Amino acid sequence: MAVAGHRLDAMFNPKTVVVVGDKGPGYMWIHNNLPFKEKGGNLYSVQIDEKEIAGIEALGVTNFRAMADVPGPIDYAVVAVPRHVSPFVLKDLIANKARGAGFFTSGFAETGEELGIKLQEQLTVMAREASFNLVGPNCMGLYLPKVGVRFNADAAVADDGKIGFLSQSGTHGIMFSLVAAANGLHLSRCASFGNAIVLDVSDYLEYLALDDETEVIGMYVEGVKDGRRFFKVLRDACARKPVVVWKGGQTDAGARATMSHTGSLAAPQAVWDGMMRQCGAITTNNLDETIDVMKVLLQTKPVRGNRMALLAQTGGQSVSITDAFARAGFAVPRFSDQTYRELAEFFNIVGGSYQNPLDMAGTIQGKMETLDRIFRILDADPNIDCYAMELSAMFGARQWKRHPEGLDSMIDSLSAHMERSEKPFVLVMHPSHEEVYAAEIKPKFTSRSIPLYPSFERAAMALARVHAYTVR
Amino acid sequence: MTFESVLAQARAEGRTLLNEVEAKDVLREAGVSATATELARSRAEAEQLADRTGYPVVLKVVSQDIAHKSDVGGVKLNLANKAAAGAAYDEILASARKAEPKARILGVSVQKMAKPGTEVIVGMTTDPQFGPVMMFGLGGIMVEVLKDVSFRLVPLTDRDASQMISEIKGRPVLDGFRGQPAADVEALKSTILKVAQFVEKHPEVREIDLNPVFAYPDGAVAVDARIVVAES
Repeated sequence: MAVAGHRLDAMFNPKTVVVVGDKGPGYMWIHNNLPFKEKGGNLYSVQIDEKEIAGIEALGVTNFRAMADVPGPIDYAVVAVPRHVSPFVLKDLIANKARGAGFFTSGFAETGEELGIKLQEQLTVMAREASFNLVGPNCMGLYLPKVGVRFNADAAVADDGKIGFLSQSGTHGIMFSLVAAANGLHLSRCASFGNAIVLDVSDYLEYLALDDETEVIGMYVEGVKDGRRFFKVLRDACARKPVVVWKGGQTDAGARATMSHTGSLAAPQAVWDGMMRQCGAITTNNLDETIDVMKVLLQTKPVRGNRMALLAQTGGQSVSITDAFARAGFAVPRFSDQTYRELAEFFNIVGGSYQNPLDMAGTIQGKMETLDRIFRILDADPNIDCYAMELSAMFGARQWKRHPEGLDSMIDSLSAHMERSEKPFVLVMHPSHEEVYAAEIKPKFTSRSIPLYPSFERAAMALARVHAYTVR
Repeated sequence: MTFESVLAQARAEGRTLLNEVEAKDVLREAGVSATATELARSRAEAEQLADRTGYPVVLKVVSQDIAHKSDVGGVKLNLANKAAAGAAYDEILASARKAEPKARILGVSVQKMAKPGTEVIVGMTTDPQFGPVMMFGLGGIMVEVLKDVSFRLVPLTDRDASQMISEIKGRPVLDGFRGQPAADVEALKSTILKVAQFVEKHPEVREIDLNPVFAYPDGAVAVDARIVVAES
């Protein structure tokens, strides 16, 4: 749904998209955006280079030789022209009252050379004067999976994306969206904003915070232009929905004299960390952590407490899963007496154990009704807030390859349990010696929104960060 | 004295550093608990102020050019009577002049010796990107060596102040250990919040150190203070 009245609304919900200056043989930007046309959007090209036009029209996209010829209002333009041409294109976009444009064009201030800095200054002044929504330059621009506007040919087209993602880096924006999709998570809206000469992270963040289709916000930032505004917008956004902040690079300390002890202790990273806690953001250090946290936020029930029930397949893994969750700050308490009474009726303690953690392979022996029975008992246990369960690829792969229906029925059981239970659930399967097979069966889990992790530590970290966020 | 008059005086003298007496005056006016401190410009004045304050007293050198007062022999603690206070005045001036011959020395501050408490630091600095930011930490080794401090941007909510105190690694120290009584965390919170409000009200303030603040089972008091203001 749109955020009526917001300056970025038309650009984030485009009906007409124009690709300016795309080139063969690949015609990357037109290819990226063909889904927009297939979904009923008006996709046009503006290109004056005669030798490119035939190739563009062969893709079924109407080309215009002048911006003014494009029918109807332009909601978003992808600008992929040489840098010295970019001010002329911007002038045309402003004159035609376009609602926004992503400048893929690079070679500006990021080069450190005089001409690049001068051209960037020129774009900045023009866009600011016209209050023009310039995304970038030196960026991949917008990715709007629902309408089919894309910044990469592998990026998914999806109607039900819930993550709004913002990235200072084009690579991280693309990679986050691809890896998220590979984990069963889709994006609502995404902006890669590069040099951020007009619109900065706060502008996009403000929109995503108000956008009903965005349930969770993630971002990759290296620095922000207006620190006070970012603080205010982030605090407001965090009050509305979870915001995961992946900060890259070292903040420049900047030259400043300090006459106080406090000033000498106020390292940029320490101040940043304090601000993150003050806003209530969830912080991560890399792509994997960011995806891991997103899985908990979007694929589990709300994390309300830190008392784990741990379900492992063998004795050794029972110790390891407990170590990982205890180190991440979780409690692994005794179950209630009622739980022990009920487990005692059927649990096989020879080669197993029904303390917490449960060492359960010998008891379950492939019978899903037994696994189900354990879940139902633990669901009623007042000492338990969350579950983490181990699946063993080392022992399981040989059988699942022979009898895929065994794996499928287990996934059905887990899925039914997750639906039924109010307690969050995470699943861990270390690929062991079966990396290829583990990768092959992963979609079976992700397509059912089962949060699957390759290590106890990653699952524990993700759950711990969301727990800290919930109780903040 | 009001902040405005202290600021005007400092600017008239081309200073950006408010001395201990000035800093405590303006902070006390803002409701921050700090020891009452007065300036003595002569030995006789020091003796008179010590008598009026009540013993034991503390004397410290007051100079915009001396950042670390104790390093130059500029601090005398636990002075029990008039004769000791008078002698301390002369000793402080002599040793500070010897260590820092070029320092402009305004005089000596006189204050009642506060009873010892758990030492903490409450500070503020101006971040180039995020503006005014508050800091809290435990005094001594925890802050000097381990840099165990927490930060929040101004303005602060009640919860921000609570979290600043609770998130430092040395937090259990405030609960009391080895016979030390527990510190009044509410009083520390109030100190942080009042300093933050003072900063909000006076954008000219660039940096503040309340170092140390003594935390007691009931209450907390800043026994040294420094404020840096922006150049006019």
